[in-house]
Amino acid sequence: MRKIFPAEDLARDGRFRRARMEDRFEDPRAQLAPSGRRGGKLSPDRPDAAHAARQMMHGIFVGEIQALEGAGRTVWDFDDDEAPFALKLDMARQCWDEARHTEISVKLGEHMGTEIGEFAETTFLYQASCNPDPVLRLTGVNRALEGLAIDVFNTMREFGIACGDPVLTFCEDWMLADEVTHVKMGSDWLRRLTEHDPERRERALEFQRVVDKLFSFRGFRGEADENPIQLARTFRRMAGFDDAEIDEIAAVSKEDDVLAG
Amino acid sequence: MADPDAPRSPFAPWDRRELPGLFTVEESARRVGHYAWIEMRLFEALGGWVATVPELDVKTMLGRHCYHHAWHAELWVKRLPELREMRPERLIKAPNAEMEAFVAALTEPEAPGLTIEKLVGVFRVLLPRKIGAYTYHLAATSRITDGPTIRSLGHILDDETTDWREGEMTLQSLIQTDDEVARAARRQAELETLINRAGGIAGPGTLGQPQESRVGAA
Repeated sequence: MRKIFPAEDLARDGRFRRARMEDRFEDPRAQLAPSGRRGGKLSPDRPDAAHAARQMMHGIFVGEIQALEGAGRTVWDFDDDEAPFALKLDMARQCWDEARHTEISVKLGEHMGTEIGEFAETTFLYQASCNPDPVLRLTGVNRALEGLAIDVFNTMREFGIACGDPVLTFCEDWMLADEVTHVKMGSDWLRRLTEHDPERRERALEFQRVVDKLFSFRGFRGEADENPIQLARTFRRMAGFDDAEIDEIAAVSKEDDVLAG
Repeated sequence: MADPDAPRSPFAPWDRRELPGLFTVEESARRVGHYAWIEMRLFEALGGWVATVPELDVKTMLGRHCYHHAWHAELWVKRLPELREMRPERLIKAPNAEMEAFVAALTEPEAPGLTIEKLVGVFRVLLPRKIGAYTYHLAATSRITDGPTIRSLGHILDDETTDWREGEMTLQSLIQTDDEVARAARRQAELETLINRAGGIAGPGTLGQPQESRVGAA
């Protein structure tokens, strides 16, 4: 088995359909929609709430598969001198957590009325976990990707509360607890591995900024009412983000939203 | 009320543990080092394979088992300094080149159509060998002096047998045609040959020496 596994080779059964990120970004339907026509914050009073929630749940499901695959590759791709044993143990633990999230997401998808393959899958989440430097990969995955997961799970949890759906709320709350742990893991490892290498730390944080910008999805994530995914400040603080970092993500999201609008 | 002055044995009437055991401190440490090595190689391979298998139930199973073996590795790595090995990395190694060759062959398949080959290597060759080695260690070491190893072996054997059962059932559900039966058997024979040359996960004597039991029986 090779080291560093490309996103285009991720193994899937026949139900999955893959879409390229470029195609999604350049989809004329999205290009033409004026900003006022965007779905906005996921809430039960949106006319398309059920469809949007199902689509988001399917996105969570494929995201969990890719997070599982990414954590697994970090366990395999690096020799002991490149990644400490304790880091690999944390990534193995994350594999188990993401495996549970995959199972939970399949069941929640059924609960909400969608099925595997109803929506297309892009692999840009996994792509963040292909970086050959373990520190950059950890920062991209555990701080940017898992940070996005905190925002998404909290958004879905609040949607569950607003809808009066105890199953959705319950499951999202449990997954949110795991994601806070994963982001904290990333914050701790970034600090430990770059303690005597500020240049490497800066490169890792720059990589995180790039990934975070990508995850802002043309204003998909932010703090305004029109952003479907809401930035979860409280949970991000628990996970080791300081306020300046959260402000920066919010600013990038806002900037991206303006450009998209 | 029991007489507080009456002498009582430190061992309960049903406690049949005896001294000594077969293993010295050094022998126990040598074996634990090999256990750590194979658990590390296994959890790395399971993690790497997650992205390569298309079957969703296999993907999540590999993710789950990856952590189990990582935890086993952690237990063994932590045990080594307690067995007077202050440089654990000295003992965390394959018992011989044949075992390294076995692991190289075990982890070689990558293509999405090779799930049977991947799982046969783990669940029909390696895990039965590990269960055998751990069970032998449990039976052979002193249940008093090597108590901490015994406790870890208990937890690990619980995991190994549960995981082996799940993996074997998954294989039985994947193997549906005569050709797939043949593929599984072929793969098992290839890997069994390699691990047999290695003598098991701790090298020759992994399950003790046959003459030991003959001497006892004479």
